[in-house]
Amino acid sequence: MASSETIRILNIQRMSTEDGPGLRTTVFFKGCPLRCEWCHNPESLSYSLEKEWIETSCIRCLICLKHCPEGALSLVDGQIIINRNLCSQCRKCVVNCPTEAMKALGVDKDVDWLFQDLIKDKAYFGTSGGVTFSGGEALIQAKAAAVLAEKLKSAGIKVAIDTCGHVPYHHFEMLLPHVEMFLYDLKLIDSKQHEALTKEPNQLILDNLIRLNQAKKTIWIRTPIIPGATDNETNITGIASFIKENQICFERWELCAFNNLGKDKYRRLGIPWRYDEAKLMEKKTMEQLTMAARKVFGDEERRIIWTGATRLEEN
Amino acid sequence: MSENKLMKEPKNLSFRVKWLRDFYFEGTKRNWNNQYTCYSTGTEWDFLFDETTYYIVPETIPFYQTFTSSTLQAAKTIPLPDDFWQHSLKERRALFFREVCGKHLPVELLPYDLLCGGRFNMMTSHCLLKSEAKKRAKATTGKKGARNALLDYYYYGFGNVGSTCGHLIPYYQRVLDQGFVSIHKELEDRYFSMSDKEKKGSKGAQIRAMMIASETPKILAERYREKCLEKAGKESDSLRKEELKLMATNLERVPWNPAKDFYQAVQSLWLTHMLVMAEENYPGPGVSFGRLDQYLYPYYLESKKAGISDDMIKEILGCFWFHCNTAYDAQIRVGNNGITAGFGQLFNLSGRDKDGNDQSNELTYLFLEVIDEITPMLEPKPNVRLHKNTPEPLLDKVVDMIANSQGAPFLLNFDERSMAGMLREARLAGKTDLINEANVHEYACVGCLENTMVGNDRSGTVDNNLYFYKAVELALNEGQDLVPKHNDLTGKVLPIKRHGPHTEPTREMLTFRDFIDAVKIQTSFLIKHSVDLYEKSEAIRAKYGNTPYLSTLIKGTAQSAKDVTEGGAELRFVTIEGVTFATTIDSILAIKYLIYDTKECDFDTLKDALIHNWEGYEVLRAKAINKAPKYGQNNEEADELARDFMEFFAEECWKHKTKSTDRQFRPGMLSWNYWASAGFILPASPDGRKQGEFFSNAICPANGRDINGPTANSNSVGMALGGKSPEGDFEDYVNYLPNGASHTITFNASLLNNPDHKDKFKAFLRGYIENGGSALQINVLDPEMLKDAQEHPEDYKHLLVRVTGYNAYFVTVGRELQNEIIARESHGKF
Repeated sequence: MASSETIRILNIQRMSTEDGPGLRTTVFFKGCPLRCEWCHNPESLSYSLEKEWIETSCIRCLICLKHCPEGALSLVDGQIIINRNLCSQCRKCVVNCPTEAMKALGVDKDVDWLFQDLIKDKAYFGTSGGVTFSGGEALIQAKAAAVLAEKLKSAGIKVAIDTCGHVPYHHFEMLLPHVEMFLYDLKLIDSKQHEALTKEPNQLILDNLIRLNQAKKTIWIRTPIIPGATDNETNITGIASFIKENQICFERWELCAFNNLGKDKYRRLGIPWRYDEAKLMEKKTMEQLTMAARKVFGDEERRIIWTGATRLEEN
Repeated sequence: MSENKLMKEPKNLSFRVKWLRDFYFEGTKRNWNNQYTCYSTGTEWDFLFDETTYYIVPETIPFYQTFTSSTLQAAKTIPLPDDFWQHSLKERRALFFREVCGKHLPVELLPYDLLCGGRFNMMTSHCLLKSEAKKRAKATTGKKGARNALLDYYYYGFGNVGSTCGHLIPYYQRVLDQGFVSIHKELEDRYFSMSDKEKKGSKGAQIRAMMIASETPKILAERYREKCLEKAGKESDSLRKEELKLMATNLERVPWNPAKDFYQAVQSLWLTHMLVMAEENYPGPGVSFGRLDQYLYPYYLESKKAGISDDMIKEILGCFWFHCNTAYDAQIRVGNNGITAGFGQLFNLSGRDKDGNDQSNELTYLFLEVIDEITPMLEPKPNVRLHKNTPEPLLDKVVDMIANSQGAPFLLNFDERSMAGMLREARLAGKTDLINEANVHEYACVGCLENTMVGNDRSGTVDNNLYFYKAVELALNEGQDLVPKHNDLTGKVLPIKRHGPHTEPTREMLTFRDFIDAVKIQTSFLIKHSVDLYEKSEAIRAKYGNTPYLSTLIKGTAQSAKDVTEGGAELRFVTIEGVTFATTIDSILAIKYLIYDTKECDFDTLKDALIHNWEGYEVLRAKAINKAPKYGQNNEEADELARDFMEFFAEECWKHKTKSTDRQFRPGMLSWNYWASAGFILPASPDGRKQGEFFSNAICPANGRDINGPTANSNSVGMALGGKSPEGDFEDYVNYLPNGASHTITFNASLLNNPDHKDKFKAFLRGYIENGGSALQINVLDPEMLKDAQEHPEDYKHLLVRVTGYNAYFVTVGRELQNEIIARESHGKF
């Protein structure tokens, strides 16, 4: 019997090396409760179905224009323009596009279908790898996610949740019996700044982490280091103190350097991006912030590391 | 940016090895090289160059006349014994080779070198009588000869076929352990047990020829020994003097007698091996060494006990590496040091035993160290065998070397999948007495990656290269070509004609089943066509191209008293290597999608599109490329079709044997570089490929179609080979291709840039052992490839950019950011 649960996802990424230990298959869920200004996956923010046009894939056959019942598409200077106010997300353009230049963002997939797809790489997971639910935010679709995680667990696959933490705690509780670990984002320790830059205060996130800590799951903390937003020592030592004071048991804390690769995604979605011209972090800053975090726990703290690309030095 | 900072550099080389390596790379500036030396009987009908050896590279045909004349012109006529022409052809060939090696081959020593044996590239007389030469000429270049038949076959787009040399692993271990003296003794015994009638016939001639041949290494070793002593006498440096004396001592013993230590074993191996290349008149066409770390290990232990240092072992191996590379000197004046993909002396490292235990030893790691230090240097080509119990340290070393070398300096072979293929072969060919659960782990690889047994197996692994896609072309047009072809040699148009059986017209193919049936009928025909053409050159080689020296090193020849070229080996196979696999599967899938499933078009429209190379059919082409399922994405429908087709291909191959030499045909998927040239000969294909674009390579998905990444790609490859089943050929592994299948994956450099990621890569390899194919070449993405992706995004749809939490395909990223990514890859800073 097919399960009736479905999950709205963006895509599935196999042989992922960046979403937890070992080799993993990552499911990107669609929809997120936060609106971080620096988000590099803007297509994951809205739970609504969306679409984008990829210029390099387009052969300008204009079949999409002919199939659009709303007249939401037009060709201007060789560019296909999507009028998002007119578009009803009927997806006729996507279905009829011969090249996948008109690309659906978001698709509802049956849990059984997802399970069958996610177990395909079990041989590569080994002892440390597995499946990661990422996004977007997997926990806003916690009920279906729990059904999927349970199936995966009974197939011997370890599940990790990459979460922003901003969901009611009972969403965590639904997943707890079936998952091994959490990749937990802590972005800003100051709640007002958090609200200013992500549209939500951080109280729920911090409270949830304290409660999750009792569940004895593996926890990796992640802090995006964003220029002018999270990249100051006060913030990092603040987060560090919070972790220390609440005795959050973490296996790793990653400071993830801002990346500018979201730029084209914003352009394609027709959304202006505040970080359009922002430069990558300097390696020196990443090192300083890592040291600052380590200092709170003692200088030999090897669980705290930084990752990502930094500015190329001028030669 | 001209300088690639990630290029691997040699390191830690001793003075001696560095000197020899540098000397090698001086190329044509060297005062010594191993260009062909040529030797003739001096008869007016004599010839040296054997064109059948090169039939599998039909592009060379225009040069045959030049090769034939220039080798003759360069040839030295050597004096022959008075009764030479009274002997059988087999004996004449053996005698001629012995005369050349014993009296005429220049015997030289290079400074610092620890091994004797150079100048093995030679062209020797065929030693034919006038009447024989005439008959052979008719069989090769006559109107109905092998050459013309091949040209038709090639330019009509079937592939290429030719009985060639090499591609086997001689029983070198026997020479090391027992010496040629034991081989000679066995031959003597065999001869004296023959009846007079047998002695007078071909069998007697064969054994006599092999006896003559088995003395050749002894005679040559003696010449080198004298040279060493002569040099030692003049040498003022006392250390070098001692070295030269030791070399002379070694040659006094080997290869005629068993080797006593590691140094003697390597000297014995080299001289024995180089004479195989010399006799075949072709430098290292896949004449491979087998499992060097296993059969040299007892000698290593012996020498270690006697106090030899690992450094000295590495010096000896460094000299061995140098000698192997001089094979390329054959064509040194062609440029690029004469390096060509047509050579390849392979050897294996590691692997499991019959109980699944890993067989790596100290020597395995020492070999890897030598490779790591001397790379980039192409010969001999290492192939590391991995399996379920491969220990972590070996995998660590393998991954480190891949990370530091811009791609693996070796090929990886996967035991479980490979052994499954070999056991299946044993069962289907009725050879379970020679290949079975107890010995299949002793398999090794020849040529590029082809699995064979060692010392008794002639599997002809490059002799038949068949373009599967031709079956689709024929199925689309009732067994006829879809478009006319061209003979590039004569410039003549080859009109559309019926080659295959008359399968039904496409308008009557009401179901997809009808179409696939037609493709299968045409595939059977392709195989039969290949088998028939092969017979021509195989019979020529069997009759006129015997190699008695090589035969002394192959089990079965003494017993059967047949030359290895006559089918004398215990295991006699010839492999049909399928080419254009993924493009063919994708084309069938595209037809199913466009014509049967979605009814986007009918057959006539599609055929018109193919005939017009998709011009005017851009939308249909885009649908074929983007909408139809593809092999290589771990898609069940596509992978099942691939598996079903592979199984069918394999079954058809097993139905045939050669008439002249009793060799069983078997399936494989090597496809060397034919997928490139095939793209120009064959028309556009339903998967969206245009004429002139490359076909898919070996068992790999078509270029850029593996959009679900390396794990999905590998799963598809494993599935195409048969996947896993409770009735597996070995454990639960199924493998339709005993030869194995060439699989290449290109990885982003960022995947290997820190210890964390190296562990992840090891996890990939462990997964590949379970799910993947039989052999894997790992390439690492270089900046040039990224630049190419900017120009040809359609070929790189699979290329992924990942940074923590971020994911996107490279081709969808804007130009400016692409440039930044390229700059980062160039500096290894991801």
